[in-house]
Amino acid sequence: MFGGQDSKQHTVQPYVTGTSVIGLKCADGVVLGADTLVSYGSLAKNRKTSRLMTVSNHCSLGFSGEYSDFQEIKSTLEELMISEYCMADNIPMQPRAIHQYLARVMYEARNKQDPLYNQLVIGGVLPATGEGYLGLVDLLGTNYESEMIATGYGTYIALPLLRKAYRPDITVAEGRKVIEDCLRVLYYRDARSIDTVQISTVTKEGAETTEPFKLETSWDFKKFKAGSRLIDESTW
Amino acid sequence: MTSIGTGYDLSSSTFSPEGRVFQTEYAMKSVENSGTAVGARCSDGVVIAVEKVYHSRMMMKGSLRRVHFVEKHIGVGIAGLLPDGRQMVSKCREEATQYREVYGEPVPGRVLVDRLARFTHLYTLYWHVRSFGCSALVAAYDAEGPQLYMVEPSGMLMRYNACATGKAKQQAKTELEKLKLGELTCREAVTELAKTIVNVHDSTKDKLYELEMLWVCEESGRTAQFVPQELIDEARKAAEDEKDREDDDDDMDDA
Amino acid sequence: MMDFGTPVLEPGSANGTKQVPQFNPYQDNGGTVASIAGDDYVIVAADTRFTLGYSIPTRKISRVLKINDKVMLGTAGMQADTCALHKVISTRMRMYEHDNNKRMTFNAVSQMLSTVLYYKRFFPYYTFNIVAGLDDKGEGWVCGYDAIGSFEQRKIVCNGAGTKLMQPVFDNQVDWAQSWDGAGKPNLSLEQATDLMKDAFTSAAEREITVGDTLQIYKITKDGIQLEEFELKKD
Repeated sequence: MFGGQDSKQHTVQPYVTGTSVIGLKCADGVVLGADTLVSYGSLAKNRKTSRLMTVSNHCSLGFSGEYSDFQEIKSTLEELMISEYCMADNIPMQPRAIHQYLARVMYEARNKQDPLYNQLVIGGVLPATGEGYLGLVDLLGTNYESEMIATGYGTYIALPLLRKAYRPDITVAEGRKVIEDCLRVLYYRDARSIDTVQISTVTKEGAETTEPFKLETSWDFKKFKAGSRLIDESTW
Repeated sequence: MTSIGTGYDLSSSTFSPEGRVFQTEYAMKSVENSGTAVGARCSDGVVIAVEKVYHSRMMMKGSLRRVHFVEKHIGVGIAGLLPDGRQMVSKCREEATQYREVYGEPVPGRVLVDRLARFTHLYTLYWHVRSFGCSALVAAYDAEGPQLYMVEPSGMLMRYNACATGKAKQQAKTELEKLKLGELTCREAVTELAKTIVNVHDSTKDKLYELEMLWVCEESGRTAQFVPQELIDEARKAAEDEKDREDDDDDMDDA
Repeated sequence: MMDFGTPVLEPGSANGTKQVPQFNPYQDNGGTVASIAGDDYVIVAADTRFTLGYSIPTRKISRVLKINDKVMLGTAGMQADTCALHKVISTRMRMYEHDNNKRMTFNAVSQMLSTVLYYKRFFPYYTFNIVAGLDDKGEGWVCGYDAIGSFEQRKIVCNGAGTKLMQPVFDNQVDWAQSWDGAGKPNLSLEQATDLMKDAFTSAAEREITVGDTLQIYKITKDGIQLEEFELKKD
């Protein structure tokens, strides 16, 4: 090979990462939840990093995956919201538009073989009706809307729980509890998670993200205890 | 004009023997043909008011807006050629975005107007471009407190306590000088600036006009906002009533 | 003279070539699309299951794009590429309407899709398409495509994950492929075609894990497009 070196480096593997984000669409809005840990491999690098952001009055965003790539996305979004502010046209940017925008950004990046290594969950309300909106975009540009969304380990652990808990008439107040429960279960089983979490609720009244708070946990379950065996109690 | 026929006014890159650049001066003239714009720095913020003269009776309210936002905490009022003004506003937005990208914080008003002035000045230096036919009043509120600036077609930049430009700038300046700006709040200034615009408005020449105002103050959470329409309407009405009364009094004196 | 032939050995690597982790821009999100065309109708069917490996992140995505009330496009494969392709086709379709002051015909759409796909020959859309529609005479047709734009116009096409299970059934039931001279070939009615489609998808859902959830069947006739939803296995 002649001069054999790559002229440009691309992200091919995430380094500093956040784990699952989960979201549930409700009758009167949407709830997002995520813990506040960013990991460097198996190292808990930062235990109090917010993985949720409020994009606008009626839109929130959560990420899992590479933290630096998310920071890049975050600043482009902030730029977008400032130009939106300067328009001063009284036409708020809808969550769907923000979702589509991010989908285009992510897809273009993957087309350049230089992906933004994230899964993004967009939660919002349609300002006109107050109906919830929940969508996902990933590093390949995959994008869809759904009543319940989970990324990472959440796909395996939280998504079934969310599907079970979902009703078309579920309220944000109820949804918040479901999300909290899911985060707790994730904390029990996902080794790259932490018990400090944030929850973001978006309703017609506005988007609000809580300060990081500790989940109440219990480790007294019989099956968590050393020496307990499944077969002792199994009916199988 | 002394220069007619001498050829010293044909290019912005030519000085006259007296050391003047006529093209730049003409650009300033085009600001003087436009509706009046005034600004005031108060104790708690900055207010900008622009008299937007309607060029057509059929123009819809709200079109050809003359006050713009370039960042959350910075607003701009334009007097002069509106398309040129929008070019300035675009440049401001670009600079504000670029500053945020590099330093991760909002651009200070001082930095922004400096960049805007340099940009404007560049257009006075070359024969192949035309100077901006507009002045920009810039209101900002940041760590340095409330600030009011004006950038003129020549690229001249000054920081003001209060300033006026456009058609009736002389008369407006005289009125502004009477204000006790250090004590005035923005809310009070809305009334005062409305009064200024109403008083200097020449209703014989320009019948219809709209009063556009923006502020960056404590009341607006140090963000650039349109002054609420009710407030503008109220202030304008009060000013017009007062003016009518004075006019009536004058008539009586004459009689 | 410079020698370009000798490979530079990367120190510390086992076989002398550098192992660089590569980003894979492609992903298979499953999905099956199928279409049966008759004398005066054509139906387009697609399941709504969205898969990622063995997971089902969502059970309700659309794989079908309505181009106008005579032509539809169905796409299986990678969702992000599907989305991008549908956007390109929509804009191209709109531009065509502005330029030519008429709707795109089935033939125009089928040729355009081929061009759009081949344009990305060296970084293809990972999509498997069918274009179904009525021609100028009102007869139903369908074109099936590979990822880089080669296509064939037929009366029955299916594409995507369930193809291997469904195509033989269609060959047998619609094309009458087992007969040398086509003697006794049935002429399916719209209702018969719809029922066959349901059976084909139900059967595919039995053995192909990426097929399931909901089947959307669009029926295109001279009166317009009608959607029927049919529930498939959810497991």
